[in-house]
Amino acid sequence: MERPARAPIAHALVIGAGIAGMQAALDIANSGYPVTLVEKLPSIGGRMAQLSETFPTLDCAQCILTPRTVEVGRHPNIHLITYAEVEDIQGEPGHFRARIRRRAAGVRWDICTGCGACIEKCPTRVPSDFDMGLGRRKAIYTLSPQAVPNKPVIDKEHCRYFTQGKCRVCEKVCPTGAIAYDQEDELLEIEAGAIILATGYELYDVTRLGEYGAGQVPDVISGLAFERLLSASGPTAGKIRRPSDGREPKEVVFVQCAGSRDPEKAMPYCSTICCMYTAKHAMLYRHRVPDGQAYVFYIDIRTAGRRYEEFLQRAVEEDRVLYLRGKVSRIFRDGEKVVVWGADTLSGQQVEIAADMVVLATAIVPRPETRRLAEMLGIEVDAHGFLREANPNLAPVSTCRPGVFIAGTAVGPRDIPETVAQASAAAAKVLSLFARWQLEPEVEYAGQS
Amino acid sequence: MPAKAKAHRIGLFVCHCGLNIAGTVDIPQVLDAFRDEPGVLVSVDYKYMCSEPGQELIRRKIAEEKLDGVVVAACSPTMHEATFRRNAESAGLNPYRVEIANIREQVSWVHAKDPDAATRKAIEVIRTIIEKVRYDEELLPFTLPVVRRALVIGGGIAGIQAALDIAAAGFPVLLVEREARLGGRMAQLSGTYFNFESAGDLLAQKLEALRARPEITVLTESEVESLNGYVGNFTVRIRRRGEDQPREESVGAIVVATGFDLYPLERLPEYGAGAVPDVISGLEMEAMLRPDGPTGGRILRPSDGRPPREVVFVQCAGSRDPQHAMPYCSKICCMYTAKQARLFRRQCPDGQAYVFYIDIRSGGKGAEEFVQAAMEEERVLYLRGKVSRIFRDGDKVMVWGADTLSGQQVEIAADLVVLATAVVPRQDARELAQRLRVGTDMHGFFNEAHPKLRPVESLTAGIYLAGAAQGPKDIPETLSQAGAAAAKVLSLFSRHELVQEPTIAWVDPELCSACQLCVPACPYEARRPHPWKPVVTVNAALCQGCGACAMVCPNKASKLRNYTPEQVLAMVDVLFAPAKAQEGT
Repeated sequence: MERPARAPIAHALVIGAGIAGMQAALDIANSGYPVTLVEKLPSIGGRMAQLSETFPTLDCAQCILTPRTVEVGRHPNIHLITYAEVEDIQGEPGHFRARIRRRAAGVRWDICTGCGACIEKCPTRVPSDFDMGLGRRKAIYTLSPQAVPNKPVIDKEHCRYFTQGKCRVCEKVCPTGAIAYDQEDELLEIEAGAIILATGYELYDVTRLGEYGAGQVPDVISGLAFERLLSASGPTAGKIRRPSDGREPKEVVFVQCAGSRDPEKAMPYCSTICCMYTAKHAMLYRHRVPDGQAYVFYIDIRTAGRRYEEFLQRAVEEDRVLYLRGKVSRIFRDGEKVVVWGADTLSGQQVEIAADMVVLATAIVPRPETRRLAEMLGIEVDAHGFLREANPNLAPVSTCRPGVFIAGTAVGPRDIPETVAQASAAAAKVLSLFARWQLEPEVEYAGQS
Repeated sequence: MPAKAKAHRIGLFVCHCGLNIAGTVDIPQVLDAFRDEPGVLVSVDYKYMCSEPGQELIRRKIAEEKLDGVVVAACSPTMHEATFRRNAESAGLNPYRVEIANIREQVSWVHAKDPDAATRKAIEVIRTIIEKVRYDEELLPFTLPVVRRALVIGGGIAGIQAALDIAAAGFPVLLVEREARLGGRMAQLSGTYFNFESAGDLLAQKLEALRARPEITVLTESEVESLNGYVGNFTVRIRRRGEDQPREESVGAIVVATGFDLYPLERLPEYGAGAVPDVISGLEMEAMLRPDGPTGGRILRPSDGRPPREVVFVQCAGSRDPQHAMPYCSKICCMYTAKQARLFRRQCPDGQAYVFYIDIRSGGKGAEEFVQAAMEEERVLYLRGKVSRIFRDGDKVMVWGADTLSGQQVEIAADLVVLATAVVPRQDARELAQRLRVGTDMHGFFNEAHPKLRPVESLTAGIYLAGAAQGPKDIPETLSQAGAAAAKVLSLFSRHELVQEPTIAWVDPELCSACQLCVPACPYEARRPHPWKPVVTVNAALCQGCGACAMVCPNKASKLRNYTPEQVLAMVDVLFAPAKAQEGT
């Protein structure tokens, strides 16, 4: 590639607008540099927006997240492009060129006021991915009432107009004429001097866990689905209701390491965050259902982190969560109950619990698109598809490619504070580069240390 | 009689906070209570007032009703006061005419079991805050210059990384280290668990990079003696060992990276209390594993210099023990124990390594695989259980413990015992925290501003935290945190001046008798007697608006802007005689 003669561009591209991408973007933008922040979903906030309350303080996730999303949405130095994906990246540090495809929302966001009339009147209901399938949304929707930007998109796979050729209710009720069925994808080209990848994680596919009901038992749900049940803005408005019949479960079994620490059948690694969120789940369940019983199956309880051990002790002592050390061998439906077979390795006994609901702490796995982006950028991923650090001991946010940095769970499972610190650290690398370029514009790239 | 009201068109915005407030407080009843409140033109509610539609609602009402005061009844002001003030400002309202009535932390959360009382209390809290807004002045923030030079306290890996990242952007950094050499705890380590990299080599790379940065000035054998000033303008006194005169330096931001100590062996009586020579700490084991260490990298018993064949590693020595020692988990021990056990087995292929553990905490990238390899490749024997006693028996060190999986008592005649002693704050951490005016937790770890989203900021503006001084953490996490602290410093230094809150104290010269009671009362040293006039003056840059001066002033001359005695009395009046106070407006 021919070396551009121009000075490097002090403009950052951040891919992924979860808590990692938002933090990195804010740190760079607050230092006076422009940032383009690209998000695949219609609005920002990522996984954290799905959470109910956060450990160990039990702050409600929305309450601490919203100031961030609002700040990002309004920041004069942040160019936010949601509902969009990076299709191609060319160039080199100082002079990357990215092609971004912004999906057609079917709504002209420039004139939409976010009043929500279209959503209210839309006659089509479909299961909501944001609510992990437990709730329903309309075919024209925003992810949540707090969405930033608070503009809807049309789900063309389910919209009656797109599938059957008639309806157009949203168009009729929109007071500003913002509905645009014929809107097309938009291709944007942006130039950036440095890139931060913060593409987050997915959950291990429950249907691959045959012994745990393989997604066939409706009352066996993932931890993230349980977050939605706990959330005040979730499908049950914060009430604990089991999916099959809407009843309040009185016995709930939490199963840790579902797909983690299982080199033979699933992922060999520890997903790091499950022990703490399971303790939180069990604790919050006991607060909402005081006469309920919570059981947790674990191999090791990993509550390493500031005030985490103390939090676990609270769950055990104050909220009387029953911890059972052992693996669960089988989960199956038996009439109205979900039966859990497991071993208690401390007493050496087999345990059988006839539960009303089971919550699986499914493994954290990388997103497939992370691998695609890594290939595009010429950086490495590990055997599982997590982004690889330049040096895991000494350079945790750098990659083998100068000018490309990484943060958050796309690098490996980690909790929110560690993710936030890492995102800021990645921002520091970008800021150092930019500052150097301004001091010595002839220096194409200053080495990282 | 209170002063004349200044806001006459007040809007009340009540937030549900999902179910956090609305689940306990009866919102319609709250709104009803202020329907006919004089001077309150708007009273509305919304599910999440902090969301964009909620903010838009406030902006719209400010414009439509020409509001000159706003009360948001929601969560604690530490959470969203800034959000709501910025929002109101963008709608043209002076932000200091926006007040928060905290009906979540102080009402719905603490009275969750008594919704009626919670609703009554919410109404009373809101009533007093409305009263406060009536008398709020329109204030203007002011700006202060920023000294774009950083101080990093602690020359371990955290401090080195923070200094490197700040200097890489071209800003000067003063790196202060108490010891004669940089490197901190990392200089004492043999290697990392990930890939078995040599800690010495990794550290050398960083020190090399440090030397290449002309922006960094290193002061070894030096300590911070005192700190004055405020964000952007700190004056720090640093004393070098053996020198009489401390030097005084100006810096705009500070990174605290003072690291950790280990729980002393002497405080573990059941483990030999430091009296058995072949019971050592994990850090002493590291020294033996270092090629440049006292044994040249060979593991030898301190008592007789012989290589041990049976080594017992005891985890959680002083950790996870709320009754006797520290209640928390020290986080790094599971991994370094696995590493040490593996390295021992590689040195002594026919030896045996035992690890006593409660839970194996190998979270983090590659960590689980590393422990699995210890069990499978090096055949390290993990025993789940606590060790009850360690004592010397002739040539051997006896370890009594329980294997909670088999339910058996275990007795091992070992040659060497390695205790993974708890990570504790530096002995003088609290003292330093006081000097810097930042908070610590009950153990002495520095407190971050928010455990989730502000992990590297202290509650004092301009002072940031990195590494184990804030809590136990491993090297990669420490490096991320150090980088994050640097990012905060760089954001601060991207500006030439800072905006300061105007809600601070002032002295009414008409009332001040220059008694000077307020001078020692001020914790920020913001007060000085005027050189010749008989009044006391306030340094606006130093004042944090805490109100200690207003409390001690016998003449009510010392006042906080928008928290005047008149306002407070009006709030009290309305609380105890609501009807009467309403007549006055």
